[in-house]
Amino acid sequence: MEFFSFGNIIVYIDKFIKFINSIFFVILIIGISFALIISPVDYLQGDSVRIMYVHVPSAWIGLSIFSLIAVSTILNFIFKIKNLFLLIKSLAPIGLLFTCLSIVTGSIWGKPTWGTWWAWDARLTSMLVLMLFYVLFIISLKYFKNNENLTKILSILSILGIINIPIIKYSVEWWSTLHQPASIKFLGTSSIHPSMLIPLFLMLLVLLLYCALIFLMKYKTEIIKIKKQNIKRL
Amino acid sequence: MIIEFLKMGGYGFYVWLSFLIVFTFCSLLFYKTRKTLKKYEKEFAKELDKLPAEHKKRIAKSSKVISSILASKNKLS
Amino acid sequence: MLTKKIKTRLLFLVSIILITLSFLIFIYLNLKQNILYFKTPSEIFTNTTIEASSMIRVGGMVKKDSIQQNNKEIRFILTDYKKELIVVYSGTVPNLFSEEQGAVVEGILNDKKYLIADRILAKHDENYMPPQMKKILKENAK
Repeated sequence: MEFFSFGNIIVYIDKFIKFINSIFFVILIIGISFALIISPVDYLQGDSVRIMYVHVPSAWIGLSIFSLIAVSTILNFIFKIKNLFLLIKSLAPIGLLFTCLSIVTGSIWGKPTWGTWWAWDARLTSMLVLMLFYVLFIISLKYFKNNENLTKILSILSILGIINIPIIKYSVEWWSTLHQPASIKFLGTSSIHPSMLIPLFLMLLVLLLYCALIFLMKYKTEIIKIKKQNIKRL
Repeated sequence: MIIEFLKMGGYGFYVWLSFLIVFTFCSLLFYKTRKTLKKYEKEFAKELDKLPAEHKKRIAKSSKVISSILASKNKLS
Repeated sequence: MLTKKIKTRLLFLVSIILITLSFLIFIYLNLKQNILYFKTPSEIFTNTTIEASSMIRVGGMVKKDSIQQNNKEIRFILTDYKKELIVVYSGTVPNLFSEEQGAVVEGILNDKKYLIADRILAKHDENYMPPQMKKILKENAK
């Protein structure tokens, strides 16, 4: 447990922030140039396929962060681990941002492709529900000061919200939706041409690095907040 | 050629709008996060200054958190 | 490891999970019909509860060589390769609307094989590839 003391963590945070700062802009420029210039147009969608390079990674990040914080919340509720609580607090805003971004960019892609900004199909609606859960999560983090109540409410939200995750994932297969089925599968070949997968994964890397940076900064802020309260006892 | 590139085969508005939105909101969150971090680092350093000198010296050596905060504060000034 | 406190917390969690699951099953059973964004032409054909002259969404493929266009309206056949539905629409169609592509039409059913559409949405499939690649695929198919 000594390894996870705030002192050790903050040293690693500083190292990671420095590392990300040193490589971020190079990867950003490579990713953007692949996404906007080098990658080919789609045979049907033309250049609007480029929106996918920010839309899909955002959606993935929004979903995975929610799964991560939901599991952490439940573990934190059972075992009361201080670091897990800080993790939840630092990750939630990032997840909300990317969920919103994926909804907005998806809607911008939908206008030229489908002919509508929004449709109440199962995928889009369940994504909106995920956003709602993020909002409730963050509001409870802000307004419930009592720790015991807060963890209870967060666990309820997590359980309700995590049921939504497989619904989002499989909505396009279970029901008829306007949204197309997944192009990239864990097993089997993807139905995206390799020349379009490169920018997709590069942009995913860029956004993941960005998430890591924000996460580390927020985590450091939380540690400082706690240390400030205890400064007299140091 | 540049106009061609900006037009993106008629989809320019949608493509640029979505990249712009992503970029803007990401930078907003970044600056907000950094501002809060700097604010708390500063406040922490201020609190530390109020402590008696020898006490301060002792904890500055032993606490990694404090040395990290002081290091990033020194970089600023 | 499992102290009494942790056991109570686990109990709390399990009860929450059970309650939500039962709620969800209840909601799902009620929403089963509404959760589908569109119906297929065969479903319209076989389903007797669908009233004529009610708003409905139908999805399928636009049949090859079936698009007829004049300056007032566009007429095409929507198919799921089993049953077909004639769609009449006046207005602009989305860019991606074309033959042998998916489409969702929203409108009023007139008879079981004739639909007057208010809105047409193009449905995109999960395939993404550059135009050259598509050409090669097409040539290979021949």
